Amino acid sequence: MGIYLFCLCVNSPQLAGSILGSTSSSPPPPPQSPGPVIARLFEKSLYDLIRGMRNHKGSEKEYINDSIKECRKEIRSNDMDLKSTALMKLTYLEMFGHDMSWASFNVLEVMSSQKYRHKRTGYLSAVQSFRRDTEVLMLAENQLKKDISSPTPTVISLPLIAIPHVINPSMANSVLSDLLPRLTHSHAAIRKKTVATLYRLALVYPETLRPAWPKIRERLQDEHENPSVTAAIVNVVCELGWRRPQDFLPLAPRLFELLVEGGNNWMAIKLIKLFATLTPIEPRLIKKLLPPLTKIIRETGAMSLLYECINGIIQGGILEAVEGTTEGEEVARLCVGKLRGMMVIEGDANLKYVALLAFDKIVRSHPYLVSQQQDVILECIDDPDISIRMRALDLVVGMVNSENLNAIVGRLMRQLRNAPIASAADDPNNDRGRNTGVIPYADEEDSDAEESLRPHEQTSNQPPPLPEDYRVSVIKRILEMCSRDTYSNITDFEWYIDVLIQLVRVSPAINATLTTDEDETESTDDVGSSIGRELQNVAVRVKSLRSEAVEAAQSLVFVDRRDQMFPSSGNGGLGVLEYAGWLVGEYANYLTQPEPVLNSILHSSTVQLPSKTLAVYLQALPKVFASLASNDQLSWTPERQTLMSLLMARIIHFLEPLSTHPSLEVQERAVEYLELMRLASEAASGTTTGPEHGDFTDPPLLLTQAIPALFIGAEINPVAAGAQHKVPLPSDLDLDTPINPNLQYLLSQADLEGFATDDDDDVYAAYTEPLTSSTTAAETTNISASDRLDAPHKEPTSYQNAAEEEYLDPDILARRKAERKERYKDDPFYIDPDGADKSASGSGAVTPLSRIVRENNSTADVDIDSIPIMDLHLDSSSAARSRSPRRQPQQPAASRRRVEIMADETLGGASSDPSDSSSSRTPAHLLPPSGKSRKQLLQVDSSGLGSLSLVDDDDEQSTRLPRHITRAEQERREMEEAEMKRALAEVERKRLEMQRASERIEAVGGEVVVSRKKKKKKVAAAPKMAGDVGPSAAAEAEDNNGEEAVVKKKKKKKIKKDDNGDGENQRDDDQGHAGEEAPETAPVKKKKKKRRVVGLDD
Amino acid sequence: MINAVLVFNNAGQPRLTKFYTQLETSVQQRLISEIFTLVANRPSSACNFLPLPPLLANSSKSSTPTTPHNDTPSLVTYRHYATLYFIIISTSTESPLALLDLIQVYVQALDGLFENVCELDLIFNFETLHATLGEMIVGGVVIETQLDKVVEGVKAQGAVAKRPVNEGKGAMGFGGFGRGDGGVWAGR
Repeated sequence: MGIYLFCLCVNSPQLAGSILGSTSSSPPPPPQSPGPVIARLFEKSLYDLIRGMRNHKGSEKEYINDSIKECRKEIRSNDMDLKSTALMKLTYLEMFGHDMSWASFNVLEVMSSQKYRHKRTGYLSAVQSFRRDTEVLMLAENQLKKDISSPTPTVISLPLIAIPHVINPSMANSVLSDLLPRLTHSHAAIRKKTVATLYRLALVYPETLRPAWPKIRERLQDEHENPSVTAAIVNVVCELGWRRPQDFLPLAPRLFELLVEGGNNWMAIKLIKLFATLTPIEPRLIKKLLPPLTKIIRETGAMSLLYECINGIIQGGILEAVEGTTEGEEVARLCVGKLRGMMVIEGDANLKYVALLAFDKIVRSHPYLVSQQQDVILECIDDPDISIRMRALDLVVGMVNSENLNAIVGRLMRQLRNAPIASAADDPNNDRGRNTGVIPYADEEDSDAEESLRPHEQTSNQPPPLPEDYRVSVIKRILEMCSRDTYSNITDFEWYIDVLIQLVRVSPAINATLTTDEDETESTDDVGSSIGRELQNVAVRVKSLRSEAVEAAQSLVFVDRRDQMFPSSGNGGLGVLEYAGWLVGEYANYLTQPEPVLNSILHSSTVQLPSKTLAVYLQALPKVFASLASNDQLSWTPERQTLMSLLMARIIHFLEPLSTHPSLEVQERAVEYLELMRLASEAASGTTTGPEHGDFTDPPLLLTQAIPALFIGAEINPVAAGAQHKVPLPSDLDLDTPINPNLQYLLSQADLEGFATDDDDDVYAAYTEPLTSSTTAAETTNISASDRLDAPHKEPTSYQNAAEEEYLDPDILARRKAERKERYKDDPFYIDPDGADKSASGSGAVTPLSRIVRENNSTADVDIDSIPIMDLHLDSSSAARSRSPRRQPQQPAASRRRVEIMADETLGGASSDPSDSSSSRTPAHLLPPSGKSRKQLLQVDSSGLGSLSLVDDDDEQSTRLPRHITRAEQERREMEEAEMKRALAEVERKRLEMQRASERIEAVGGEVVVSRKKKKKKVAAAPKMAGDVGPSAAAEAEDNNGEEAVVKKKKKKKIKKDDNGDGENQRDDDQGHAGEEAPETAPVKKKKKKRRVVGLDD
Repeated sequence: MINAVLVFNNAGQPRLTKFYTQLETSVQQRLISEIFTLVANRPSSACNFLPLPPLLANSSKSSTPTTPHNDTPSLVTYRHYATLYFIIISTSTESPLALLDLIQVYVQALDGLFENVCELDLIFNFETLHATLGEMIVGGVVIETQLDKVVEGVKAQGAVAKRPVNEGKGAMGFGGFGRGDGGVWAGR
């Protein structure tokens, strides 16, 4: 010891200074820990550490590292005081992000100390530093068990508090048996902590609840229980409640009693929340709940309780349930009135916030109630507090309609325009220096830390500048509101286009981090592209407004006005150019000023644009050019020739450097159009010009016909996202089997054979197609191959037909069909659908080959024209079935004020849209969190509880978690197995008695049958174990095979529970349901049946 | 349930960190600094609820309008007392206003234990800070909301050390906390 102390002194000279300080001012040692005086003299206490940190401004890092080094030594000491102090210091440093996982074994040592003071330190360190992968957890188990069983209440508390932080399933199983007796500990403090600990145990190990729940329920039902414990149990029940509300219905009377008694507001809030989950499954509760809830609303002084009452009425669906009655109106008025009061009350932002939360929940079911409060809600959009603004924003998106859309969007737009732009210092990204770990430097002023904890006064009351993510979110919400239901809320599209242009101007700058790699910028996250997409959407869908939309796009593209369009707020809106570029190209004939647009596209700054936008620009270039050059009504005068040549020269000049652009997309387009332009340029210079004012001379065809033809064709229409998925797959289409195993060989054979003998041109043409020609080869080798080869050949043809259906008029379709018939007239392999029955009678046109083919095909396979067309229900309307034109525009969907908005093209009803089906949601909170990857930080996974029934009901046993089996558990199980056998024999004997009895009274009917079934289910596990079962039971067992294992497991549990008492199963059943006999308001039907069974048993 | 309780001062230095689910130390620090960034610039007139910090918000961004899952932390409540911020991260199953009151009870309990509590008390006695919290919340479940019982529970564990005498001048009275939002059940 002496040597050790000596070393300490040598290694850390700064100790010398602090020794004096520590003796004079360290906290008085607690009475139970005298400790060796010498050790305390030289050790650095936690107090010294903190002081040291405060005294080493600027060099905390070194100081802390030194201190940790010291701790490493001290913690290995045999002196428990020293060890525990070192651990305390490490725990303190852990708070600042200094790893102490290396000390986990020492944590255990300190935990196992006899002194409470050490123990407490040890447990605290364990809570703060143990992680899932801490290896000593296994060793901690024994210590936990030991301390739980300690006679001293304060010692018991330590493991109770620590267990939730360190528990894992295998430990849970072992600790459980020690925890359960603590539920009846004489100290209320222990009981309430045990309840909470058991809940956390149940989260990792749902089986916990099987033995624990009856005991907890017993505590809850006990009216003489300490109110603190009752409140703690209510908290736990509330946590469990939303997972399996049906299991808690039997408790409703007691919970109701507690609610009415009042006394503890926190508990009352929890009870109300719990009832809100119960009312949907037991509507009768509503009538009972309403009086006390309204009473609380009227009388309580606690705002939190008042708010939760209103919230409970909303969430529990009580408003809906009492709708229509005078009582209901009164309740609704009361709730909404109170909420409104919260909104308008002066100076309490919190109430505003929670009221908005509540409105957000009402808005889906009672939009009219919320829209009455529109005035106060809209005020909140301009609230200086960002939290409130965000809530209000969420809310208005839900309450928007065609009347208030303009006003709401106007408000938001004004906000975006007028608010100061956040400076760089406000950007949280610039504050990331903290992420490296907060270094505990000394406080600037000690007096600051001395200040008593009173609310801090801040004078600044200025509206904060809008942070950028808020701006982005506002813009996205505006777009969302406007575009909802294919623009059903918009009455004035010119206004909307103006809004879009305005939004581009107020778009925040994109974070530099996002734009570092141009090619990987996600367009979905970019505000500019979202706006652009809207503009594009409007232009495509709303034909009557197309010229305005294109006008807007044109104004965006102009280079000389870029400063105006994309002001100093950064280049955030530039994403819109991609879409604007597309618009000016696609609708070039709508352009009012095509020349300036072309000039802007050719501007040298264009090359600087992101490659994605550049590629779109390149595509737009020839389109605009074509619209300028294609006029064939004008004579080809020398003036025109010069003009065109000049233009093309400029284009070529622009494209040439781009043909080596790093982006392939840009490069490819540049090269293609470069060649095209060169060709056109040659044609233009080669064509002789006519006189200035004389006869008409034709301009070169390449300019007037060829180039425009590249771009003018079918109009582009919006197609629903899921439309492609809806094209039904023909049932006989087999894409998996190879067309022919040795296709390669067949093809080469076909090449060798040649077709010289056949001089019929049509047939020759047919044969030159590889697919068909291979059939000839197959004929000699494998007949069925031809069969298989035929089908894939025909299927695509049929698909072609289906596609044509979409855009071809019936006359064209008819013509094409006739053409096809003509073409295949002499093809021996073409099977004419109309001639099918004729050929069956053996007409001369049928060649031997085609007969073979037909014989091997089922008729359905052959009928190429009919298969897919019959299968595809392209449209439910009769018009479509009669193959009427399916050209756009479709039925003007939801047109308002003569504005025609094109709906998405899709197949079948919109309801089966895949994107829709995902949103037709079950309440989100009932869905299990999907997958580990999506699990959030801090999130507790309680999904295991969802499948565990708390009610002893055989019918609900179907789903049970697979149990995690450890070795200890295995041993225990084997013991149980033996007991199980004995119990089963007993059950079997009972069953036989029962069966005999029931056979005697078979005539009685229904009720007995029910009870028999129940009983048999219980012993369904028996045949496997006992072997000698009656035939009827065996039959039953077959029915219940699926449940067998489950039932078995349950048996085990029951038997285990009975270990202490006598092993009568029926007794157990009776006890299990004792609690359920009490409820009067909500007896579940199943329970009734159950009780009958019990009665019969007795 | 309650996912975490944090206390840090005006400079963002942690005074208490308690996470009711296991979290890597580095992630803890990041979360603290993110919340501090959010909370630091709020005026006193602003409400006591924070938007979710980026670490917690990232995965829920895709499904904005849907109600948050009952297991995911979705509520960040804070209160500011003099030099300290008290923060509770919880799921949507907790009542926001009640959490504010819970923080109030916690601070009052500390005030009762230390007599005019100030940040220095908490720095030097962070074990007591933890003990007090342990009397109120176990494993994320609130077990006690009554001031006297909390204080009683902590005192039962042994004497609460006082702030070293020479460390500072007398603390100021601890009176006018709270905003008068009338939600304190302790006073009822």
